[in-house]
Amino acid sequence: MEILSTQQVSFTYPNATTRAIQDINIQVQQGDFVVLCGPSGSGKSTLLRLFKPEIAPHGSLEGSLSFQGKTMDDLEPSMKAKELGMVFQDPENQIAMDNVMEELIFGMENLGFTTEQMRKKVAEMVNFFGLNHLLDKKTDELSGGEKQLVNLAAILLLDPKVLLLDEPTAQLDPIAAKDFIYMLQRLNEEFGITVIIVEHRLEELFTIANRVIMLEKGVKRFDTTPRELVSKLANHQTMRGYLPSAALLYLSFYPGLYPEEIPLNVKEARNWLKAQNFDSEEAVLVDNLNNQPILELTEVDFRYEKGKPPVLYNLDLTIRGGEWHAIVGANGTGKSTLLKMIGGIVKQQHGVIRYNGKKVKKWDRKSLSYLPQNPKLFFIQDTIKKEYDHIALQHGLENAEDRIQELLCKFNIKHLQDRHPYDLSGGELQKAVLIGTLLTEPTILLIDEPTKGLDPESKRALGEVISGLVKEEGLTVIMVTHDIEFTSNYATRCSMLFQGEITVTENTRDFFHENTYYTTVINRITRNNRVHPVVTLEEAKRTWLVQSQS
Amino acid sequence: MARSKPILIVVAFLISVILVGFPLFNTEHFMVLSLLIMVASFLPFMIHYSKKKVRSRELVVVAILAAIAAVSRVPFASIPSVQPTTFVIIMAAIVLGPQSGFVVGTLAAIVSNLFLGHGPWTPWQMYAWGMIGLTAGLLGNTRMMHSKFGRCVYGFLVGIAFGWIMNLWFVFGVIEEFNWTEVILYYSSSLYFDLTHAICNVLFLWVFSNSWIRIIERFKVKYGLFET
Amino acid sequence: MVRGFRSFHPIILLLYYILAIAGLMLYQQPLFLTGGFLAILLANLILDGGKELRKWRFMIMIMGVLTMILTPIFNHKGNHILFYLFENPVMHEAIWQGLIISLTLVSILCLFISFNIVITPDKFIFLFSKFFPQWALLIMLTMRFVPLLRKRLNEISDVQCVKGLSVKSGSIKSRAKNGMFLLQILLTWSLEESIQTADSMTARGYGLGNRSKYQPFYMKRKDWITLVFLLMSGSLVLLGWWLGDGVMALLPILEPFWLYGREWFYLFVFILLIGLPIWLEGKELIKWKYYRHNK
Repeated sequence: MEILSTQQVSFTYPNATTRAIQDINIQVQQGDFVVLCGPSGSGKSTLLRLFKPEIAPHGSLEGSLSFQGKTMDDLEPSMKAKELGMVFQDPENQIAMDNVMEELIFGMENLGFTTEQMRKKVAEMVNFFGLNHLLDKKTDELSGGEKQLVNLAAILLLDPKVLLLDEPTAQLDPIAAKDFIYMLQRLNEEFGITVIIVEHRLEELFTIANRVIMLEKGVKRFDTTPRELVSKLANHQTMRGYLPSAALLYLSFYPGLYPEEIPLNVKEARNWLKAQNFDSEEAVLVDNLNNQPILELTEVDFRYEKGKPPVLYNLDLTIRGGEWHAIVGANGTGKSTLLKMIGGIVKQQHGVIRYNGKKVKKWDRKSLSYLPQNPKLFFIQDTIKKEYDHIALQHGLENAEDRIQELLCKFNIKHLQDRHPYDLSGGELQKAVLIGTLLTEPTILLIDEPTKGLDPESKRALGEVISGLVKEEGLTVIMVTHDIEFTSNYATRCSMLFQGEITVTENTRDFFHENTYYTTVINRITRNNRVHPVVTLEEAKRTWLVQSQS
Repeated sequence: MARSKPILIVVAFLISVILVGFPLFNTEHFMVLSLLIMVASFLPFMIHYSKKKVRSRELVVVAILAAIAAVSRVPFASIPSVQPTTFVIIMAAIVLGPQSGFVVGTLAAIVSNLFLGHGPWTPWQMYAWGMIGLTAGLLGNTRMMHSKFGRCVYGFLVGIAFGWIMNLWFVFGVIEEFNWTEVILYYSSSLYFDLTHAICNVLFLWVFSNSWIRIIERFKVKYGLFET
Repeated sequence: MVRGFRSFHPIILLLYYILAIAGLMLYQQPLFLTGGFLAILLANLILDGGKELRKWRFMIMIMGVLTMILTPIFNHKGNHILFYLFENPVMHEAIWQGLIISLTLVSILCLFISFNIVITPDKFIFLFSKFFPQWALLIMLTMRFVPLLRKRLNEISDVQCVKGLSVKSGSIKSRAKNGMFLLQILLTWSLEESIQTADSMTARGYGLGNRSKYQPFYMKRKDWITLVFLLMSGSLVLLGWWLGDGVMALLPILEPFWLYGREWFYLFVFILLIGLPIWLEGKELIKWKYYRHNK
């Protein structure tokens, strides 16, 4: 049965010259699990929001949208609120109430439910989600994943027929993201709720979804099954990066030969590899073991309050000049604290930090810069250029103007210099901040979780830019991240932080090679298989002797 | 709105004159009468707002500004008796108008007391900050609030007035019989704090009011909020 | 779940606090006030072991002592001069007056401490929602934002600290300026983010029609009984005050400090009313002791 459809829908934003989406025809069947994807600016989020008229963007809409056979305009407002549920990207911003219980019942209160009805429904929902332990908590005390689950539960309490999700896992760590997607799968399979999800992280979604709709420049390009789509995107410039690693591995060696054979997940890819026989040659590793240590932490302890257990304990870490050092580890192991300590934001209670062999008491603010997780926090001034001038003035930089213009050109955002930082896209904003951090010509750059919320294309661009700085200008980068795939592609060395200590530090390739669980998808596919195990796709291409034909 | 505004200004002005000038006429029933005046000048706004239909965006923006006012003392923890709560309320009121200004002020008082603990001062604080927001909003489009100097004068006056209103809880609640010497004694003992407050207001308004008004204004225009 | 005084309906609790404050302000008699003060202290001790009281004790003590000393210095009404201080007479009556004012003040402050323990934010918001539903919603929203904004402020201050903007070191001028810069970033950022909060509220049907309110509290039998008790003892307290009992007349003639006749009865009623939390909490305490004994 058809539940949601669009007829010749086009949409234009105010003051825009081109249409954001154009002549879209989609019929979503009840019980479908639809992934809506496309490169940045393809209009996927716009389309998703048009399905929820109360929060649809302002602008001119042509064509019509209908829900269960009725056009949106003919629907009762309370019906739209109830039956079309929407989950947004940022778990924090969606929460309106101060405790979990109030948050859950907020929608029901708006629709005039009685107290008895609310009690009954909440009891049911809490049992299904296993949220019992959270019910009496403040919403502020929850982790990101828990917050997003509460948001989902709050919407499900209204019994929606369709769930619309706008990049719901972009801000979550990988484990919470998987849990969230697993929950969506359950809702779809066990309750038949129709799901339409916009997402960049397609690794898991491709095996769950039964349909993928891809938009490009506002036009519907494909509307098909995930496996079909993979074969069609095999040679697409930008969209290739969105595909699951398993499929990419296959496509690199058999580009589009048998569409029905393309593996979408680890299991399928392992089975395919079992039948292959690739010879391999040991790649020559570029090693920067000879680089001099630039930063040394010895026996460092840190705790936030007296009497509380230490966050970092007896930690040793050596950073070499000109390397891109990634610090990985689960949530709450003290990664961010470690970065703050290196940055001099918090001070260790025990142990020393040495920079070029000298004890660090107070950083010379020019030699160390920090690229924050949320780039918006960087700006005090209301245009990007003004901010750069302010930094130049503050640090008394000479020839600042030349440096600013040079960097603006290099990063290709010269045309944006007079814009308000908040009007930039995620990728552009990050570049803008990067320029700000580089103005003082620092020797060390600290990066906190740089890939959160970025689409694969912006991620790749960021990786290339920073790699360039490391290789060409000898910048030392220390990065804290959850993103295993990004780390494996760009970092030169990795350290694992566990219970406040560095447990292992190795070259990126060796590091992931030896891990069984905490490692890349490609490594999980290739380890203990007939082929020579590799960590990244690039490595596979380099070492396996059967070369890709493309 | 345009026509009712001058009337509101007059009413607010009269109320403050009566409140401050009352003891000159009558010391006998000063307390009861001024309490009545305060309640009568405060409750109607509370009730009016409670009845009003407010769009979710406007509701959230008001709540955010009140929350900023309430947490604004955090970055100043290392400087004693400096806190820009009044400054934030004035900024919100100038851009968003008297009603929202009133709500931001009142709300900031309620919420900061919910975190720090209520006391007999809670209603007075609600009244003082609510009225600062209301009057700043009423004066928002006048020449006074358009000039930085005018804003500073306003900030100084309300800084002192805030202290006076806050002293009333003590005067009303404890000093049963009205006694000028005691009142003056009490008021002079708080003069240091009131002056600090007033001077901080002036400094903050002088240095930051332009950029804050620009930020809130930009936001208001960008999302088409609070258009009447 | 909590039992005892805290488990009563918020309206009953509010009524208790209103009556208690009224009682303290009406009965201007040292013995009444001392009794009331001791009852409030004891209630505080039972409610949370005096934890909150300890936080505020210095402020309360200073205010109490100051009013007690300053009143006789500045108040010269009375007939009995005790001695001269800097050529000003200090009156016997004024000393009593100072004692009474200071006891009232200290008692009310202590009562508010127990108010803060008992009327938790959820009960406070519930009371608001009874009379001003929109305000209750606004308070809730703001309460949700306060910890969020604090977290954001920390984040901002970390980022700006590396950029060289510190609120912890430097001259007062630069610290204040930097503090305002942090707030300014917080303002710009949070306003922008708040649009999403509003959208998520709209998406869940906010603003469609009449909101209902979840009722976590309902009147139980014990609430009704307490209501009757409060109304009765409250009226008696009022009656006593109206009859002039429990007020120590200072002028024209200084009344003796000790009570006589009927006044003892009103003192009893007054303490019964003010001490309500003690009776209700005490009952639970004894029950628990008994329960553990029998186990």
